[in-house]
Amino acid sequence: MTQKHKKNRNVGIIGIGQTIYSSHREDVNQPEMIHEAVEIALKDAGLTIDDIDCVVHGNMELFQMVQQPDCWHTIGTGAYGRDQFRLTTGGTTGATLVAASDNLVASGMYDIVLAIGFEKLQEGHTTGGITNMADPLWGRSLQTGALTGATAGEMIEEFGEDRAKRAAMRHRVIMDKHAVLNPNSHRSFGLEFEQIDDLMKNSPPLVGELRLIHMCSQSDGACAMIFACEEKAKELSDRPVWIRDHIAVHREETFTMFSSNKEMRPEITQRYAARKLFERNGIGNPVEYFDVFEMYDPSSWWGMDWLKNFMLLEGDEHLKMVEDGEIMIGGRLPVNPSGGVVAANPIGATAMARVAEAALQVRGDAGKHQVPGEVNHALASGFGGTFWTVMTMLEKNLDWQEDNNG
Amino acid sequence: MAEYYGTTVADIFKTQTERFRVEGAEGVDAVFAYDISGDGGGRWKVTVRDKKALTEKVDDGDLGDFSVKLSTDAETFVGISIGKVDGTEAFTGGKLRVEGDMALMGVLPRLFVKYTPPGGGVTAQDVIASLPERFRPDRAGDLEAAIGYDITGGGGGKWTAVVSGGKVTVEDGLRDDLSMKQTVSAKDFVDLVLGKLDPMVAIGGGRLRISGDMEVAAAVPKIFAKFEPKGAEKGPELIVLKKTISVDMRYATGPVMGRFLEALKEKKILANVCPECGRKQLPPREVCAVCRCRVDDFREVGPEGTIELLEHTYYASPDPLTGETRETPYGIIHVLLDGCSGTETLWHLIKPSDLGSAKVGDRVRPVWAEKRNGSIFDMLYFEKVD
Repeated sequence: MTQKHKKNRNVGIIGIGQTIYSSHREDVNQPEMIHEAVEIALKDAGLTIDDIDCVVHGNMELFQMVQQPDCWHTIGTGAYGRDQFRLTTGGTTGATLVAASDNLVASGMYDIVLAIGFEKLQEGHTTGGITNMADPLWGRSLQTGALTGATAGEMIEEFGEDRAKRAAMRHRVIMDKHAVLNPNSHRSFGLEFEQIDDLMKNSPPLVGELRLIHMCSQSDGACAMIFACEEKAKELSDRPVWIRDHIAVHREETFTMFSSNKEMRPEITQRYAARKLFERNGIGNPVEYFDVFEMYDPSSWWGMDWLKNFMLLEGDEHLKMVEDGEIMIGGRLPVNPSGGVVAANPIGATAMARVAEAALQVRGDAGKHQVPGEVNHALASGFGGTFWTVMTMLEKNLDWQEDNNG
Repeated sequence: MAEYYGTTVADIFKTQTERFRVEGAEGVDAVFAYDISGDGGGRWKVTVRDKKALTEKVDDGDLGDFSVKLSTDAETFVGISIGKVDGTEAFTGGKLRVEGDMALMGVLPRLFVKYTPPGGGVTAQDVIASLPERFRPDRAGDLEAAIGYDITGGGGGKWTAVVSGGKVTVEDGLRDDLSMKQTVSAKDFVDLVLGKLDPMVAIGGGRLRISGDMEVAAAVPKIFAKFEPKGAEKGPELIVLKKTISVDMRYATGPVMGRFLEALKEKKILANVCPECGRKQLPPREVCAVCRCRVDDFREVGPEGTIELLEHTYYASPDPLTGETRETPYGIIHVLLDGCSGTETLWHLIKPSDLGSAKVGDRVRPVWAEKRNGSIFDMLYFEKVD
């Protein structure tokens, strides 16, 4: 059992800002785009940049080919004259920014931290950039960005071709139905369940049974969040969202280990992270405990498969949740009311947008994609690298500690 | 963002300040509040004071003090703004509600120039009719093609653009011998031409279907100049800088990976074996990440093995080491070489001619390059063992 993080003090989210996510942001350059998110987050928190003690900035250089973009971006981030850190951990960057901010504030180093994740993917080549994560001596000649049909192939083998393909496309349509409700979405097609058969057959294949419609977009956009220590959070905000715990799990640096026999493979990091996180927080039934889950789902196949792993499900429970619409807004466990990553993927901002969207749900501020009923417990996940996972647990009330934070 | 008549509510407010007419604002001091319901709606405030206009989106909370407030749904608001819906009728029918100083409503037309959507009023027929004049024979070379346009829905139609002898002619209807055909709704077609809809989004969502010769499909954007809507006001053109970055790189291989690569020259595949847990690593890595110890013991494995994973890749992506776009389809494989077990697989390619028939569980062997220099492609690929 992993140790529970020892926090010197509680940390609350008090400001959230997202730009629209789009493939057409030629109207602004990088610092201008970032500044949009910063401005919205500051306004949301009722603060000015002078109130910020420290800025944490993150994305991946190889997408835009700008080394140390935090230099150029200082005019947009407001980091002039204050402490700034930069993080870059692949797809998990946004979640790592949240984890780092949580650490920086909980430690007592800073009272108020502003974190910013961004990407302007239209300025470079996304799949080329991702392929560069593989080692140049071997894997780089073989990898095709984040595209894989392996999960699709396995689910087809396990659950039968028609059922698996149909469930994956149903997952995709559900995400789109959510995306249509989110004004920040990059892609919202207005898909209907009646289109499932057509899309299963006609959407262009990328790798194996992974088709274009299943895969996330390449978006431009930025997300900014403001974190404060308990004292400040209570003083500055009437509804701070509390970070209960986070976990970051990495595995080996290579994709080159594989077996067709699932039993042979090491436990997937999604399940490993979920198991540890829930164990140390005393959560026996995550599907019942959480009121909403914002998952980093790069494709519908992964979105569906990882639901099983994150929620510690067995057999075909995850397929049933998709087939029965339990992951829809209004369902038993709404997953990605925002539309998720298939709706918008500005990579360095993506994992942070998961936490931001989960926090908006807790606050009841998600607008048209707000889930019905009170949201007391929310979960967000990030994905990146060679199957790295970051998970963040959010709470509406500071009431979990008496029994669990001993 | 929901569109009505091809326009969003946000489009209208985004241009509110630039449509301001200073000459009409003499003596006006007023706050116009807008409460727009429905998909794409929201709250906005337009303040006109000292011959200046300020437009603000009010994301939450209330609109505060105002001189006059308009409440309506997004569709009605856009309709009125672009002249598709009669404002008086909407007001009479209860779709538009006005609170506060009604007289200010009469002042609005002299304060702001009417909103016109970019390229407003463009039809699919306009676009098709302009094909001959937009044709670029210098780029078409000796291309001969019949391009079919199956434009569905209101404002649609069926046309064939015939590219022949350095000219384009447009015929009504679809020819039987089309080289390529696109099927799309009239609205999406116009949006695609105007750059308001991303082609990948349209294809991905099944809204644009292209059938026939893909080479012709790829040529179409090149052989026709961009469509410019007649009489459309052009916004300021922002400069986009295009850069191609090309850098020569040198990567050290180190003694462990270097030894593995050196052995490939001799047609030998070396795994290294963890002294603690005994697992083999391919290619060898300096330490065992699980046991956190150095791994110095090498063992020859293969060369034959069994396919554990096969990925049929159709997406053409660039090879970051060469900048060249990879030829598709290609097959990525993970091979369990003889002498290895569990997840001790090697990552490589399947021979292109075996891609159609190869499957997980098949026996394969490497095909060696004639000239080997200690790199991944000393093995060209793996082929099936008959």
